[in-house]
Amino acid sequence: MKGLTTVLLLVFAVLVQVAAINRLPLPWGMGPDLVVLAVVAVALGSTPVGGAVAGFSTGLALDVLPPADHEIGRYALVLCLGGYLVGRLRDSPRHSRLWPYLVAFGAAFGVGLGFALVGLVLGDPRVGVATFLFYVPLYAGMTVLVSPLLLAPVLKLRRYLSKNEFPDITDASWVSGGVRL
Amino acid sequence: MRRGAPRQRLVLTVLLVVSCALVVLDSREDTAFVTDGARAAGEMVFTPVSAGVSAATSPVGDAYRALTAAPNARERIDELEERNRELTAELEARDLDEQRSAELEELLHLSGLGGYEIVPAQAVTRVDSQGFSDTITLDVGERDGIEPDMTVVNGDGLVGRVLRVGTKTATVLLLTDGASSVGARLEGASEMGIAHGTARSLDESSSIRFELLDADASVSSGERLVTMGSHGGTPFVPGVPVGTVKEVQDTPGALTRTAEVTPAVDIGSLNIVGVVVSEPERDPRDSVLPPKPDEDAAQAPRDDGAEDEE
Repeated sequence: MKGLTTVLLLVFAVLVQVAAINRLPLPWGMGPDLVVLAVVAVALGSTPVGGAVAGFSTGLALDVLPPADHEIGRYALVLCLGGYLVGRLRDSPRHSRLWPYLVAFGAAFGVGLGFALVGLVLGDPRVGVATFLFYVPLYAGMTVLVSPLLLAPVLKLRRYLSKNEFPDITDASWVSGGVRL
Repeated sequence: MRRGAPRQRLVLTVLLVVSCALVVLDSREDTAFVTDGARAAGEMVFTPVSAGVSAATSPVGDAYRALTAAPNARERIDELEERNRELTAELEARDLDEQRSAELEELLHLSGLGGYEIVPAQAVTRVDSQGFSDTITLDVGERDGIEPDMTVVNGDGLVGRVLRVGTKTATVLLLTDGASSVGARLEGASEMGIAHGTARSLDESSSIRFELLDADASVSSGERLVTMGSHGGTPFVPGVPVGTVKEVQDTPGALTRTAEVTPAVDIGSLNIVGVVVSEPERDPRDSVLPPKPDEDAAQAPRDDGAEDEE
């Protein structure tokens, strides 16, 4: 059940991002990144490997779908790393309610920065000083602005599902090496 | 956590290596065919999704565009309306100018044929306060060299004579006014007579009554009249078309023969006229008259203006 919602969430995020948000006539030519938020939402309630797989698959989808004009694998690399790192953080009740949004901001900023850095390494002519000073912070800010719309319902749903579903044996931490799906 | 760490790292490492490999493959020209297939597949997935989203969101998109354009739309509409008004006014002005130009040309033609020296003028008002007399006011006066009893013509023929002159305006007694009498003769002959105006008050359809001096003279409808000319060129210079005989009234027992004459000019729509300030050196006789129209049209007045009056 949880796995199904995860897949649905990721597919939904990718499709909405590619088909709707990327074509909105937003100022400065960039919009919030729902995919990063979806990966954060999945990774927060999962393990590092779960986050990495989610990030890799969605990133690969974003790399392949048409509006993308960068090298295939670039987004997958960055999102995979991001998902892994977010997955290493714990979403425990001890943290304040703002914790997921803080993580989302960090993730968005990191993904924007990592994407630009990979571009710099690959010699992307569009990456310049303005990218780091202006676009990466703007990208992270916009993503955080819309994050409550996605993160709040998704996290609530996932908590609800974890509480009600009797954990089967594959979810036991001693089976899968501390993997909390 | 500890126990799963190597496996986690393995998975992560594999994923990262795959990513890097893809990036390298895609950025190299000679190996890009590996990733081209993936792109094509992505496009196949994307196209229907995108089309669906387009269909679903096009009303929203239109509304968004309309909203973002709304603040400027008001200004834009005002601007366009203003421009529209300007252009309409310009167009009307141009039509008016063309009309005036045509009238001036006719006037020049007439003055050239007759050898008259004219001062062009614009008819300003038609009605005087009582509305008894048939007069018009011109926008020329003493400073333009206008004097009383000068002949006023337009491109079609005789209009009247100057009655009074101010500094900048002149009053013209139209030839249709009841107080107006013009010495005239029949075209091509020496039969003479007097053309009286018949209008007692403003009446657009008033014609001229032509009274032949010789009771035995023959006159038939369709014949045209020109001014006879007065001594010294005042009040009327010779040779100006007056009108066309419409109907001959053969009253038994009358001492003179009279005929009803349609004025050559359209008295109802005077615009550009000319005041003859100097008479021709010699009588132009019938040379100012336009060529005789066809026999069919002979019954009808020869110019458009006179046709309007009928």
